[in-house]
Amino acid sequence: MSTCPFGTRRTRRWIPWLSIAVPTIGWLTFGLYPSLATVYYSFTNYTGLPGTPTTFCGLCNYRDMFSSNYSQLSQAVVTTLEYVAGVTVLQIVLGLGLALLLQRRRFGYGLYRALVFMPQIFSVTIVGVLFSLLLDPSSGPAEKIYHSVIGGYSSFLGDSDLAIWLIVLVNVWMFTGYTMLVYIAGLRRVPPELYEAAALDGAGPIRRFWRITWPLLAPATTVNVFLTVMGSLGEYSLILVLTQGQYHTQTLGMFMFNTAFGVNPDLGLGSMLAMVQFVLTAVIGGLLLWALRRREVAL
Amino acid sequence: MSTQTARPHQESPARAEVERAARRRGLLHGLRMSGVQLFCFVVAAGFFALPLVYLLLQAFKTYPSFLKDPTGVPHPWTLSNFSAAWNQGDFAVEMVNSLVYAVVPDVITLILGVFLAFPISRGWFKHSNMLYSFFVFSGFLPAGLIPLFVEAQKLGLYDNRVGYLILTSLTGAGFFFFVGYIKTIPRELDEAAAMDGCGYFRFIFRIIIPQMKPALATFAIFGFVASWNNLILPLIMLNDSSLWPVTRGLYGFFGEHTSQWPLIAAATVIVAAPILVVFALLQRHLVEGVAGGAASGSAGVGNAPAAAVAAEE
Repeated sequence: MSTCPFGTRRTRRWIPWLSIAVPTIGWLTFGLYPSLATVYYSFTNYTGLPGTPTTFCGLCNYRDMFSSNYSQLSQAVVTTLEYVAGVTVLQIVLGLGLALLLQRRRFGYGLYRALVFMPQIFSVTIVGVLFSLLLDPSSGPAEKIYHSVIGGYSSFLGDSDLAIWLIVLVNVWMFTGYTMLVYIAGLRRVPPELYEAAALDGAGPIRRFWRITWPLLAPATTVNVFLTVMGSLGEYSLILVLTQGQYHTQTLGMFMFNTAFGVNPDLGLGSMLAMVQFVLTAVIGGLLLWALRRREVAL
Repeated sequence: MSTQTARPHQESPARAEVERAARRRGLLHGLRMSGVQLFCFVVAAGFFALPLVYLLLQAFKTYPSFLKDPTGVPHPWTLSNFSAAWNQGDFAVEMVNSLVYAVVPDVITLILGVFLAFPISRGWFKHSNMLYSFFVFSGFLPAGLIPLFVEAQKLGLYDNRVGYLILTSLTGAGFFFFVGYIKTIPRELDEAAAMDGCGYFRFIFRIIIPQMKPALATFAIFGFVASWNNLILPLIMLNDSSLWPVTRGLYGFFGEHTSQWPLIAAATVIVAAPILVVFALLQRHLVEGVAGGAASGSAGVGNAPAAAVAAEE
């Protein structure tokens, strides 16, 4: 521990505390307190309507959710996992592919990278509206292509089997640029001598990829997988704009939002769903970090 | 000059032959490169820019012509959608709101973040490391959206501009990005300044903040984009439509004018255009920021410079 050199002998002890006071109070009020209060709220049947009391009811929400409404909850968990798996796999594969393709330091490639990165600067509202237009079942171009290539009709975002996967694609469209940039930063750290040596030893491009590029990209893969999984686990704003959680697209986050702020608000139940989301995130995050670290060491 | 260029021709025909072969190979190489170039362009533009171009085209259609040929090129081109969307949507007010909601919290968060990070980074507290871990750890707690909503109502921060700004300015996000960066600023600077009688607050504003410019710029840009794009918080916290930012406004507009696609497309273009301009201007900064923050892992902006160099063209 070192001491603050500023101020007089008397004020010197208080300056550090003064410095962190306002941000700490702000963080306690609007950061820590709401997080901890979620735990408490999940044990109440608070509706959030003005004038209704907050009654502590123990495990009522949990009991309710894990018995009578269990199918709704398990459906939300399954949808969340589908969404996370779809987004992560596609985004890693596409992000790496685009990184390999667009990493060159030549004229024009800066622009291509910028184009790939561009979608994520738009808000979910813009992206949501854009894809609602593209996927409109009666007048969108997707309908036209589907009709002429596959034949028949699809209601796209209104199709319960398809909707969640389409949102996966929209999410991937929006955020692949980020994954790509992380991979490009990783690729630029691979020493070029390795490729030259491998080429001299007669290793083809595929072999070079699996023996050099992929293992040396392990740290970038760790970052990408972790960020993509954590990001998509909590995602619901895009789903809100595209389907509002209808047609089997209700992820846990969406379920929480609809429960707490929907037509019949139930803040107690919503908080309980936030807790389920928290536990799921913690478990998956923990397992993921453990697995990715082990993998990095093994490579 | 002329003798120098003439000499190779005089030397030997063999040499000229080699040169010609090299030029031919160069040409072939160039052609192959442009093939790759073309492919890259098609991928980047086709998948990532074309949807927006399609949206833009829709905005120029009249409604009857849209109904007749929804996916084609506008037949009579019209600007009326833009004026209609502008008049019906209140986007001018909403953009000002968005700007306020993005700039004010961004600036306050940055300054408070530095004031929080500096003493912790310098180790002025008995348990500075514990304090740091505590702040970082709190980011992994359950989402507090619902209690925040209740709290805002109780504190009178619900559905008013100042309240919304307080809520978004004081969430304390991002300070740990700065802790690592401040560690790279030599301590001798503090001592020298203190010796010269410089006060703490003046020192932070005059010395530390200018020193942290790269880190602050990156964080400011990302913070701005994140606040500008936030939909959920305005949806929950702002009921009065005159307070809405543009994300919330477009969401409402979209719900109100379902399937009047040319009008919705025009509104979306209006909303997207300023962001696109900002992106074009700051593109390099954004791209570097991502590569820098990500390459150094969770340390974030702290170790950015090296990685930013790597990302630099």
